Amino acid sequence: MTTPRTVELVVNGERRAADAEPRTLLSDFLREGLGLTGTHVGCEHGVCGACTVLVDGQSVRSCLMLAVQAEGSEVRTIEGLGGADDMHPLQEAFWEKHGLQCGFCTPGMLMTAVELLESTPGAGMDEIREAISSNLCRCTGYQTIVEAVQAAAERMQGEGQ
Amino acid sequence: MYVGQAILRREDERFLRGRGHYVEDITLDEPIAHAAFVRSPHAHAAVTRVDTARAVGMPGVLAVLTGADWTAAGYGEAEGVWPVKDMSGADARTVNRPFICTDGVVRCVGEIVAMVVAEDRHQAQDAAEAIAVDYEEKPANTITARALDPDTPLVHPAHGTNEVLVTEHGLKEETEAALARAHHVTEVVVPTNRVTAASIEPRCYMGHHDTVNDRYTVWTTNQAPHIVRRYFTKSLGIPEHKLRVIAPDVGGGFGMKLYHYPEEPLVLWGAIVSRRPVRWVGTRSECLLGDTHARDHHTVGRMAFDEEGRILGVKFETLGAFGAYESQWNASITNAYHFTMLSLAYDIPAIHTTVRGVYTNATPVDAYRGAGRPETIYQVERLIENGAHEMGIDPLELRARNLIPAEKFPYQTAIGIIYDSGDPPALMEKARALCDYDALRAEQAALRAEGRWMGIGMVAFFDMAGAGPVKMMNDLGAKIGCYDVASVRVHPDGRITVFAGSHSHGQGHETTWSQIAADRLGCDIDHIDLVEGDTDRVPMGIGTWGSRSLSTAGMAVYTAADRVVAKAKRMAAHMLECAAEDLDLADGEFTVKGTDRKLSFAEVANASYHSGDRPADLEIGLEETSFFDPADCTYPSAVHVCVVLVDPETCAVTLRDYWAVDDVGTVINPMVLHGQVHGGLVQGIGQALMEECAYDPESGQYLAGTFMDYAIPHAEDVPSFGLDSHFTRALGNPLGAKGAGESGTIGAPGCVANGVIDALWHLGVRQITQPMTPKKIWRAIEDAGRAQQ
Repeated sequence: MTTPRTVELVVNGERRAADAEPRTLLSDFLREGLGLTGTHVGCEHGVCGACTVLVDGQSVRSCLMLAVQAEGSEVRTIEGLGGADDMHPLQEAFWEKHGLQCGFCTPGMLMTAVELLESTPGAGMDEIREAISSNLCRCTGYQTIVEAVQAAAERMQGEGQ
Repeated sequence: MYVGQAILRREDERFLRGRGHYVEDITLDEPIAHAAFVRSPHAHAAVTRVDTARAVGMPGVLAVLTGADWTAAGYGEAEGVWPVKDMSGADARTVNRPFICTDGVVRCVGEIVAMVVAEDRHQAQDAAEAIAVDYEEKPANTITARALDPDTPLVHPAHGTNEVLVTEHGLKEETEAALARAHHVTEVVVPTNRVTAASIEPRCYMGHHDTVNDRYTVWTTNQAPHIVRRYFTKSLGIPEHKLRVIAPDVGGGFGMKLYHYPEEPLVLWGAIVSRRPVRWVGTRSECLLGDTHARDHHTVGRMAFDEEGRILGVKFETLGAFGAYESQWNASITNAYHFTMLSLAYDIPAIHTTVRGVYTNATPVDAYRGAGRPETIYQVERLIENGAHEMGIDPLELRARNLIPAEKFPYQTAIGIIYDSGDPPALMEKARALCDYDALRAEQAALRAEGRWMGIGMVAFFDMAGAGPVKMMNDLGAKIGCYDVASVRVHPDGRITVFAGSHSHGQGHETTWSQIAADRLGCDIDHIDLVEGDTDRVPMGIGTWGSRSLSTAGMAVYTAADRVVAKAKRMAAHMLECAAEDLDLADGEFTVKGTDRKLSFAEVANASYHSGDRPADLEIGLEETSFFDPADCTYPSAVHVCVVLVDPETCAVTLRDYWAVDDVGTVINPMVLHGQVHGGLVQGIGQALMEECAYDPESGQYLAGTFMDYAIPHAEDVPSFGLDSHFTRALGNPLGAKGAGESGTIGAPGCVANGVIDALWHLGVRQITQPMTPKKIWRAIEDAGRAQQ
């Protein structure tokens, strides 16, 4: 359990390798092994969703997955979503709609919403509420998050046309 | 003008890109060691042996420390920020929350018995599990309502009672007389459920001892870093000038992250002993167990009405939970915030309350968003709701008859507090229109005819926000000065850094404080940066809690900026050879009135630092500090209305609609305000419908140690909100602003509860304790049905 082995994977389009004990969680590996502290850990038992990342296009709780299980996978985290000059429409919409307060649940919320809008581009309010119900936020009351995802969906659909 | 505008938040970019900087994210040049704790698995037990021998030699272990080591090191105990005082003014039966068990007895599940410091978190946890602790279990009680029963085990036998203190407030004889002469008296037993803030970021602390310079640094998930620094003088005996406390980005606080928790001095102690920086990050179970819990008041209330439904008096008797020990601010709930707000938004001539603080073998209770007001509003409003139904008067109509009319402000309540400004009838009328009240009642009747259960809940209340003034809060028991501080530093290039003693953990101060400063300084908001959360950089501060920061720290920003402008005008007047009174400041320029002669703010700033040509009595530099002590608390008010649907098959509650009409005085940023109201409402709704820090009543074991067991609302559990406002200016600060952080949280439990009771009244249901889960609702309907047979 404690003998490290090298884990190789693609993170945000970049090939990365680092040592991890077999018991190391993917969340800890991203944060401590690769220095990607944008992925937050809120409960370590898979309920709050703050640690949500995309592994091969699917949202996962990185606190419920071992780093060694991600060997050879393609992982997307908040750091790969968009920079200061090329923000993702979801980041822009969260900003404009006040979809965040303390910012701690935000990376997980955004990655959950990325998966939703990539799989269901025309998602409506009810689908959005259902989708983000996988993640806990204690600050916003959710309304502005729902509105932000809706606004981003409309913008992304507009751009796609 | 920036004030009043929905400026997008200047702090958001880093959060949106995963570049927030929370305590757990911080790296140092040295490798950081980790702490793990051994905690009591029992609600009450004697600790007969702590054997650390196996742990000491385990891989990576740097230090193993126990209560005996703490005592040997000569460290201190916690001290109350708001210490308990009995009615006589004498110290009550205070037992402060221990940092680590030093007296051989643990009194609640989760109390710390030992600490391990190791190279990494897993090694620390492995070694903690290797520490052998022998316990002899003792009888325990976790139920507040039973605390003073004759056969209940004593938490602190030396005191001979579980009673911490008794306080009485209000007009006893007048209230008894009102109850005696009343046309109708309503009585309800209204316990408030034990809940916890459950910020999504767990508590996390890191300590570092710089042995070369003999200085200490603590990084902490805390809302008031200067107050933390103050209490390290008591715990580890570190003088304030030797300790730097940094509270960086903090992932939600809600009052719960205000305290000098046990783990905070312990990690610094671990750092001192191991000569390494040491970090602890709480597991969710440690947080749900060790974060302060809240509410848990057991109250019996009686309300007297005349024939028209006018309230003649209200009387309360409360057992207020302390848990196993006194947490630092607990007495602010029972002694300052509970009783003061008992009049809500109603003109009630006689109020009397008796509060008995009690110990139980449960996690210490302290302030959480609202602290005392959620209990009070819920209790008073449950009485009004039942009274209206019992007297056959429409609940909104009965409330409207009792609201404090606008012309009575400033309004002196029967409990002694003076509400400075407000207009409750205007709030009620807006709420009535917003929800289309008459249509809702018609819909309720139509649905009931179909066998469907719809309820309309409402509340109307005041909040006491903005803690200060210093004297008033001292008189209510605070041992800290409730002012706040800001420095406005103009750099020689004219750009500005504002240093504030508040702390933003979601509230958006980087935006709102900059809005205030930019207006006062007549400059571009992008020329301003804000520094908070660092005791080495910010001169002093009391922190962010109790919806106080705008009317204290925000006002300190306002005041310091005005002083900067006054000084800069003197320099500009000297340079322009005019009188300071003849100068206007706008858009970054000083202009001589009625002329085109002008100087830029930056030119004046530069000259303030670097020019020898200045008025003889004008000091060099352009920086001002304000210690702002407000003239009064602020008294925001609101009316909430909601619609609930109770499923007759499953007894599940759907919260269909929720409207809130708020009076928070002058608004700095309506977007931020709405965010505060939304988030607050959902925390209050959680208290009403699902949240409970549950204990097994027999064993005292904690049953809510994960997010699978402690339910907080998801997006699907709550509706979108309908908000409106009717603003009256606060009189206690020149901005005219009132606190806005807690209004949602304090109103929602009562509003939702009244909605559920309104939906089920025709079935004979009169009261259901919160959280109103389907099981409890089903049971209440069954019991009511049997009672009616």
